[in-house]
This record gives sequence, structure tokens and C-alpha cells, in this order.
Amino acid sequence: MELALLLQEGSTGDPTAIGIFHFFAGFFLIITIYSSFLGFTYWIGKDE
Amino acid sequence: MPIGNLDVPVIGKNVVIAVLVQSHILFATFIIGAVLIAATSEYLGMVTKQNNYERFARNLARFVVLLFASGAALAVTFVLALVTLFPVFFSILQNIFFWVFLVEAFMFLGQIIIVYAWYNVWDKLAYRKSLHVVFGFIAGFFGLMAMTMIDAVASFMLTPAEVTSQADLVARSFLNQTMVPLNMHRFIGNFSYVGFLIGGWAGFRYLRTTREDDREYYDWMGHFGLLWGFGFLIIQPVIGYGYLKGIRESAPESFNTIMLGDKSWVFNLLVIWIAVLSIASTAYFVHKLRFAIKPMETLRKLSVGALGFTALFTVLNIIPANANLVPQIGLVFGQGEDTQIPLGSMYPWKYIGLIGLMLTGFFVVALYLRASATGFYWGRASRWSQIALMSCAFFVVLTMVTMGYTRETARRVDNDPAYLINGCVKLDQTLVKEGCPTKPITEEGKGG
Repeated sequence: MELALLLQEGSTGDPTAIGIFHFFAGFFLIITIYSSFLGFTYWIGKDE
Repeated sequence: MPIGNLDVPVIGKNVVIAVLVQSHILFATFIIGAVLIAATSEYLGMVTKQNNYERFARNLARFVVLLFASGAALAVTFVLALVTLFPVFFSILQNIFFWVFLVEAFMFLGQIIIVYAWYNVWDKLAYRKSLHVVFGFIAGFFGLMAMTMIDAVASFMLTPAEVTSQADLVARSFLNQTMVPLNMHRFIGNFSYVGFLIGGWAGFRYLRTTREDDREYYDWMGHFGLLWGFGFLIIQPVIGYGYLKGIRESAPESFNTIMLGDKSWVFNLLVIWIAVLSIASTAYFVHKLRFAIKPMETLRKLSVGALGFTALFTVLNIIPANANLVPQIGLVFGQGEDTQIPLGSMYPWKYIGLIGLMLTGFFVVALYLRASATGFYWGRASRWSQIALMSCAFFVVLTMVTMGYTRETARRVDNDPAYLINGCVKLDQTLVKEGCPTKPITEEGKGG
């Protein structure tokens, strides 16, 4: 456990506001692209 | 004129790559898993003569054919973005993995040709069904090989191989320390992810349809999808453990970042998603056992007990190790890392939780399969059981995205520096000679 704490010492992660914005912007875009492409594929595929 | 070091406004170039790759992988995994599940279903239809298998296989194959363009377009856009935004890094990868990329391209081509042929000759080969099933499995094989090639590159970025001579560069980099466990993890994941999505789609359709035969079909489809989804999910902890063990041995700083350090919350998120998947799946099985053609009250009572154990083990997995929950957004309580939470440590509690979850999972799947052997009354499932299926589909997507983020953020360690190839190439595409295990990358005029 000491090794783990030693490795974490001075760790900053990614605590900036822009980092948090990037995280959520990325997530939003992934889900948007994914659901819209799936929705589009369903739409062009229906009416059999 | 050179285009220089480009960046992307507002979201930055790292997010562009992440978005394109994560979106692509959600489709690519779907296509690989769906082709294999559809081919298996077609085979089962051929053997059992049950129409549901054939109807399902054909519809899924059709959806894959239509979806292929979306996955491929994202892949091409991603490669274009990578060449444009990270040209130095891409050229380093090309120098090491030229043959791997070439094989991947041909596997991709083979997959396209066979998938389209497979769907297109469905009626033509109606009387040569064995041959047609083989088409589906070959398409799946090509997909798996393409995945294997890119897994070599992705695993190398986290755990670059120890290479001292140019002659060993390609082979050792291909079979780097985490390539095999990553590939196994993704191989199993293909089935689990697609199974849950199929279950979710079936649940949605079941609730909307008004025709009795469709209700029966979608009820069956939800059961079939969830068997794939949950059946393969419970294998994942062992393989995931093997993968993490590889990371801990080859990139200990990365392991500590994602398991113990500032980014350990991604694993807490992950086990929350897995808790929902496990509890919802087990609850579905318990519900479904009510409709077994041959009443199995004892099995049902046992599965209710299994549901309780599933809940217990998943809660054990969720408890964080300390009060330093998400330091990036200030979610820190008490003394942060110094405030240990009871039952939160990895050893023994997380191991007990994960092993217990697997054993309970195997037990409940075995009970359910036992009941499946005599069949169910289809079309009588409750609304809640279908919502459980739909929530599984939603949470499996979150699981995929969280896992992708976890693997890629592991190279960031404390962002000082963050790496594209761990220990060798920094995020700003500059080389690090000291400590890079793959020597040819940093030797001028050879690897990089």
C-alpha cells in the first residue's frame, strides 16, 4: 500500500475545468454519434 | 507547404480522436459480435428447425449489412484525423506495424465481401444451408482477425515491448505483454455487448408490438440475447483480471493510476454498470422461470437466492477503497486517501465480490438453461422484465465507453508527461529515450 501512496504523491490527475469540459463533451459526442447512426440505420432498414 | 501542428478549436484534438475511436468501436464490436451470433443462430435454426433462430439470424444479418457503412466511415475518418493531428506518432506506428496494418486492411476487405455475400445469397443457398452458415462464420473470423491486428497496436501503446534489435521489432511488438489478454477480453466482450443490445432491442419491440406472434418472437429474442450477454459477461472478470495483471507487471504506474490513484473512480463507475447488468439479468431470469412449460418451483427459489447473492457481491464491488472519490471534481470526503472505507480494499473484498459474482452467475445461468431445455411460454413476460432488458442495453454501452476511457487514460499517469506510447512517445509527439523499452523507436533512422 505504501508503494501505491508513493506513486500517487504529487499526482494531479486532470483537474482543470477544461479537462472536465472535454470529458463531458467527448462523452456527449460519442453517445450522439452512436445513437444517431443506429437510429438512421433502423430508419433506412424498416418498412419491410 | 506543411500544414504544421494542427489543433481543433473548443474540444481539442485528443477529444476528436477519442470520440471517433469510441464511436467506431461501438459499431465495430457490434458488427463482429452480431455476425458471429447471427451465424450461430442460423446454425441452431438449421439443426433445431425452429423458425425463430432463422428469422432472427436473417434480420440481424440485414442490420449488420446496413450498419457496416457507419462503422467503416468512422474508421476512415479516425485514420484521417490521426494522420492529420498526430502525424509523427502515426509514422512511428506505421514503421513498427506496417505489416499488421496491411493484414488488418485485407481482413476488413474480406469481412465486407463475405458479409455482403452471406446476406445476399440467403435464398440462393436455402437448400445448402451448411455452406451458407460457413459463410457467416468466415465473415466473423475475418472480423476477429481484424480486431486481433488492431489489438496488437492498442496494447502496444500501453505496454510497449522490450525490444533491443530492429530484427525483433515487429514480432515482439505484435506479441507485447498485454496483447493476448486484451484480445481475449475483447473476444468475449463482442458476444456479451451484442447479446445485451439484442436483449434491449427485443424488450423495446416487445413493449411496442400489438401482434401476438411478434410478442412471442420478441420475448424469445430478449431471452436469447440476454443468454449471450450475461453468459459471456460472467467470464469477463477472470480475463479482465489477467489483463490487469499484465498491466500491473509491465506498466505499474498505469495500473496504479486506474486502480488506486486519481483515476480509480473509472473502476468504481465500471463496477456500478456491471452491478446493474448483473442484477437486472438475474432478476430477468428469476421472472422468466415463472413461465417454464414444466413448472420448476425449486429452481425458481434457488434463483431468487442467487439474486440476493448477486446483489450482495455487486455491492461489495462498488464500495470505494477510500474517501478520495473523484478528485478531479472535488468529490473528496474526510481525509481523502487517508480515510479508508470498511470493506473497500481490493484484497480480499473485491476478489470475493468478483469471484462470488462469477460463481453466482454460472449457477443462475445453469439453472436457467436447465429450464430452457423444456421451454417457456413466450409472449407473457411482464413490462418490468423488458425494462430490465432495455436497461442492460443502456448500461452495456456505458461499460464499453468507460472501459475504453480507462485503458487510454492509463497512459496519462499524472499528466506529467502523458504518453501516446507509454514511456516512449509523449502526447506532444516528442520521443523519450530514457526508460523506453522499445529501443528502435528512439534510435534515429531506424524505428521512429
